[in-house]
This record gives sequence, C-alpha cells and structure tokens, in this order.
Amino acid sequence: MKTADIVRFKGASLFALVATSTVSAIGFLWPFFISEKQGHPQWIFLLATPFALLLLLISVSNKSLDSKSVALLAVLSALIAALRPMGTGAVGIEPMWFVLILSARVFGASFGFLLGTISIFLSAILTGGLGPWVAYQSFAAGWIGLGVALIPKKVKGKIEIAALACYGIIAAEFFGIAMDLQFWPWTLGADTQLSYRAGAPFGENFSHFISYHFLSSMAWDIPRAVFTASLILLTAKPVLHTLRRAHTRAAFMTPIEFIERVKA
Amino acid sequence: MITFSNVSLIYPHSTKTVLEDLSFQIEEGEMVLIMGETGSGKSSLLRLINGLVPHHTGGILAGDIEVDGISTRTVKPGGLAHLVGIVGQNPIQGFVTDIVEEELAFSMEALNVAPDVMRKRVEEILDLLSLNSLRNRSIATLSGGEQQRVAIGAALVMQPKVLVLDEPTSALDPIAAEEVLSILHRLVHDLSVTVILAEHRLERVIQFVDRIIYIEGNGETSIGSADEILKNSDLVPPIVKLARALNLSEIGTSVREVRRHTDAIRNRDYKEFKSPEKSKSPAILVNQLSHSYGDKKALNNVSATFHQGEIVAIMGRNGAGKSTLLHSIVGLHSPDSGKVTVNGQDPTRLTGAVRRRSIGYVPQEPSDLLFASSVHDECNQADRDNQLAEGSTAALLHRLVPAISLHAHPNDLSEGQRLALVLSIVLAANPEVLILDEPTRGLDYRAKAIFGVALKEYASHFNRPVLLATHDVELVAEISDRVLFLAEGDIVADGTTLDVLLSSPAFAPQVAKVMAPKPWLTVSDVVEALGDSS
Repeated sequence: MKTADIVRFKGASLFALVATSTVSAIGFLWPFFISEKQGHPQWIFLLATPFALLLLLISVSNKSLDSKSVALLAVLSALIAALRPMGTGAVGIEPMWFVLILSARVFGASFGFLLGTISIFLSAILTGGLGPWVAYQSFAAGWIGLGVALIPKKVKGKIEIAALACYGIIAAEFFGIAMDLQFWPWTLGADTQLSYRAGAPFGENFSHFISYHFLSSMAWDIPRAVFTASLILLTAKPVLHTLRRAHTRAAFMTPIEFIERVKA
Repeated sequence: MITFSNVSLIYPHSTKTVLEDLSFQIEEGEMVLIMGETGSGKSSLLRLINGLVPHHTGGILAGDIEVDGISTRTVKPGGLAHLVGIVGQNPIQGFVTDIVEEELAFSMEALNVAPDVMRKRVEEILDLLSLNSLRNRSIATLSGGEQQRVAIGAALVMQPKVLVLDEPTSALDPIAAEEVLSILHRLVHDLSVTVILAEHRLERVIQFVDRIIYIEGNGETSIGSADEILKNSDLVPPIVKLARALNLSEIGTSVREVRRHTDAIRNRDYKEFKSPEKSKSPAILVNQLSHSYGDKKALNNVSATFHQGEIVAIMGRNGAGKSTLLHSIVGLHSPDSGKVTVNGQDPTRLTGAVRRRSIGYVPQEPSDLLFASSVHDECNQADRDNQLAEGSTAALLHRLVPAISLHAHPNDLSEGQRLALVLSIVLAANPEVLILDEPTRGLDYRAKAIFGVALKEYASHFNRPVLLATHDVELVAEISDRVLFLAEGDIVADGTTLDVLLSSPAFAPQVAKVMAPKPWLTVSDVVEALGDSS
C-alpha cells in the first residue's frame, strides 16, 4: 500500500482529457476547416469549449484528487491567479507562466494541466473578466502545463533550467497564437485583408491569420516570451528547490506497510 | 476507547524505529499526557491515533491501533474525523475562516450537516467554551489563549469522543494556559471526552492528568500515574525537582500537596540571602517612549534603563506591549514620541554590519531570519557577513545543539534546533546587546537549560545586556536579574526578579508558590538557603 499519489490522468480521466482536449482543439482550429457559409457553426464551439472544461474538471474531482493534491493545487493556483494581474497584462507581461511551468516540471504534467486550467479560471473570477474566452485561455494554459512533460525527466542542473527557459519562450508564443486564433474570426469584420472568410480555402485563411497574428500581437508575444524566459532563468533554482522539497515533505506515493511485529 | 497493541513505527527513508512495541489502553473519559524530549515521537504518537500517520506520511506500522473499535489500518483519517478531533501545535495555521462563528461551523459545512443542527451545535460550543462574547470577532485579533479555545471548539463541534492536542499551552501566558486547561478538565469530567495531549510545560498540566505516557530517548516507553512516572523520569517539573532535592518521601503534583509536605522546612528561620550588588553602567536608555498602532496605544510614556551585564525579562499578558517595546529598542520602527538610545546610538539609524554588531535580535518567529536552503549555507553566510573564519558559526551551533545535521533545511528543524541556529547566527556578529522575543516556545527542559546557560554566559562573560520578552516564569526565575512587568502599555512593576515574581500570584514560579512566604524562586535557591543554615 502507498500514500495517495499526486493527481495523474489515467484510465477514465485520461480518456476525458483526450476527448475534451480534442473538442477544444477543434474549438480553436475551426476557422480552417469549416466551409459552411450559412448559419454560425462557430457558436457551437464557443459553447462546447466551456462545457468540455467543466466535464473534465468534474471527471477529475470525482475520484483522483486526494487532500494533499487539492491543497497543493489550491495554494499554487491562488499564487498564480494573484501573480497574473500583477503585471497589469500590458504588452503581454504576466508574471505567472514561470510558476506554472516550474510547478508542472516538479509535480508532473497532469498536475500542470489542472494547475493551468484552474488558475486561469480563478484569476478571471478575481479580475471579473469572466466570459467565453476564459475556457479557451484555461485550455491553452492547461496544455502549456501538460507540455512540460516534453522535457525528459533525467535532465538536471543548468541544462534543465535552459530547457525550461526555452520551453517558456515556446509556451508564451503558443499562448499568443492560441489566443489570436480564438479571437481572430470574431474581430476585424468580414472584409479586410486579414479577415477570416468562411468557406475560403485553407491556404488563404491560414495566410490571413498569420499576417493578422504578426501584425496585431507580436508586440505582446515577444515581451511575454522574453519576460517568461528571464523569470525562469532568474528564479528556477530556488523555486525548483522549494517545490521539490514540498514534494518530498508531502510524501506522495510513499510506501505504507502494515506488519504484525518489527523483527527483533 | 483507544487501544495500542505492540505498536512500532518506522518512517520512510529511515531505519530508526520511532516508537517501539508500545501497548496501552486508554479508557473513555481519561486525560492522558504524553511527555518526552523533542524529537522523541510525541507528535507521531498523537497522529497515529487518527491515522494521519502512516496514511499521510508513509512508513511502516507494526501492531494495531483501535479507536472506539475501529482499526486505523483499514480506515483513512477522513473516516475517523467524527471520532477524533485534533488540535495542532500552532492553531492559527489550522484556521480556515476569518470569524469565530464561521470557523466553528466550517467542518460541519464541509460535511453537509443540516443548518438547524449546525446552528444548535455552534451555540452549544460557544457556551461550553465561554466564547459567546467573541463570536463575531475576527480570529486574527484574538489573543493566543482565545485562539486556542476557538481551535478546541472547532474540533469539538464534530462531537468527537477523543480530543488530541499537541502542545496546547506552549505559546500561552500563564493565565491563558490556565483558561485552556480548565476547559479541558471540564470536558473530561462533564462530557467524558477522552483527552490526549503532548506538552513540554509539565508544571502546567501535571496536576490535571490521570496518566502519563513517557517516551524516553532510547525509544522505551513507560505508562502509569503521574506519581509513578515522575519518581524516576529525567524530565520533571520544578515541583518534583524540589521534592527530590528535599528528599521528601512522597512527590506531589500540585502546589497544595507539596506545601503540606514542606511545612517544617518553611517554618524554620534562615539567614537572609543577599545577592551581590552589580556595578551599573547604563547600556540602553528608553525615555518617555510612546507608540500606537492606529487608534490602539501600545506603549504609553515608558521610561527604563537597562545596564551592562544585566538579563532583563519583560513580562506581561499577550498584547501588553512587550514586542512593541523590543521593536523600538531594536529600531524596527521609530517611536511616535520619546527616545531610545542603545550604547549612545539611535537604533533606527543603524544599518548593515554596524547594525549587526550593535544589536543582536532574535524575533518571535526565528525562521523569519532564515532564508538559505540548508543549515550549512546559513552558517557560511553568517561567517562571510561577519568576516569570521569559515566554520565559526557552525562550531558555535554545535556547542548549543550537538546533534544538528548541517544538510537539513532550516524549516525541517525542530523549534529548539531552529532557535539555536538563529541564536548562533546572531551571536556570530558578537552584538553589543542581545534582544529576544519569546525565545522558549516549544523548547523542552533540556534545550531550555542549554539556552539559559548560553544567555547567562553571554551576559556575564562579555558584560553585555540581554533583554527577553517571555511568558516562561520558570525560565525567568532561573536566569534573569530583573523583571519589567508591562500591562496595557505601561510599566506596572520594575524590580529584581525576586520582588516582582513573588508579589504576583499568577506569575510566581511553582517553587515560590510552594515556599511562600520564603523568598526562594528556584530549587537551587532553596538548596542554597538550606545548606547555609545547616
């Protein structure tokens, strides 16, 4: 027997993660696929994504969370949610990604996913910015947490910090693209050079999007990437040390044995 | 109610058995004290009762523990929540809500108890623990004793049959401690709740408990009534030390009992004992000092002079202004009016190395001074800061606590070890005055004795003043030369330790209570006086 594990997606919850992530991925990418000119298929995705998130959180909270994971999740998401508005969000400076990435590194990808989704949701409640876009942001942040698993476990020391900083750059850019993608079809009106055109071939919409992205938001994404990477370089050592110590102290997956007598 | 059969415990990543082959039974409505040195496994034993060990910590548990017929092997801590209420060492860390009433209702809300039942139980608890006048107060504004009572209340709303408390009176002043203990006494006698508590301050609890479980350093445990255990144990309250020093045939656990046995000794006449006058040269001058926080006046025109080589204890209730006075002397804030000088300097203007050399300050929460990730790093940092040879601070630390591991994280140390670490770091700068804010919380007798010797040595060897704010009357009786008693921001008494402590019934140490009206504060005082006369 062992003490409870830190939250991990497996079995039914893994299935739920894959299924809901697929739905919300389509929710991001639909402009490139949908050729229907009539009606508004996009509304379906705008509604489906929050429901997917809800479904996922319910499936996780039903069984796989024990008290220690909940406590850890609560403290770290509160921290991230409080850090997020501290940068005022101006030109993409949000001092939160480094905590998410470093926590995901220590506590694992599944934990990182939950931390990302919950903390974005929490900070939206804190700042009053609750709307359909929150679910998109939540999924994007969750995937960023999940993606930390791409860095191999055995990487240690300076290389680990460098890898995490690189990941920070990729993550910041990824978040920028995802948010643009979510926003793009709804903005600009229907007839500019950069607009989404329902039913247009993939190539055309894609090139429109890329130009839109570069024109509109590089001013946000580059500072975000630089800021996140430098925060990781600066803080990784003490923060990783502190989190790893918490991991040891919380005694996740420590064996418990019940025996009759200690042998003399 | 609680049965331990052949219980041994081994923590993960460790080969040491914490408890060995422990068997005992605790009946319903018993009050049992667990005593032992720091690190002997008291807290582990307490947390075995509700299954937190090993279900939350991992480890190997041999034997079986049953609480009200339920084995903790099969049931997780959550499943015992209705049966065992637990109050941690530092209640403020366990509070979830802000208001007393809400805190009491919290655990019932979590378990979805019907609102009318909740309402009724909250009222019952408010009455039972006399918390009614505090019901709408914010928990952060309560005194230590009140917070402890709220924590006990929050555990009691679930109507547990067993109440487990880890050092419930360590951080409290003597009056608040009495308050908490009399409530526990009442719970045991009126409601037949089974109470199990661990406590270092034996002198406070010994008279209330039915039995004692004594965990000795070598892992052996003995169980028995207070008289049986205290006769042979190494850890004893001053009252038992006195009985042993006087070779009384029986040892008593309360002042009343020992007074009866010592009638003859008290009625003899003794030569008057005079302490040698010390030469006085002032070191710290406090002149007409006032300070307030918002509307609340913390210090009210306080004036005092502290001399070189003097150990001064600053006593008084929680919130009397002790910490504010110390903060002003350390220079943490500038006073609203009045003046403080430390060896001729204004403490608020000191910075950097000059500051470290002028004033050594150990705050109430010693870990506030620790930020490195290991004991070793902390010591090296102190060496570098003070331009000492590498290893000097570590050497000092080893003199205070030999068994400390240099690779441990400061937060993983016990209270006593952490205090010793901070004290070594502060002393490494060789400060001209030493100021400590409630330094003995969570220290056992042995650690306290070492600590007392270190302070005395510092004061007499370097002829420098030591100021300490404390609730610990026994420590004050042992080490201090002078006592300053604060109430509501005023100095209400200032005199030698003997004069001040003897005149106050609540703050008199046990030996003084037994020996009143003779002017003796400690066992060694008594022995000395008896030795002189015979």
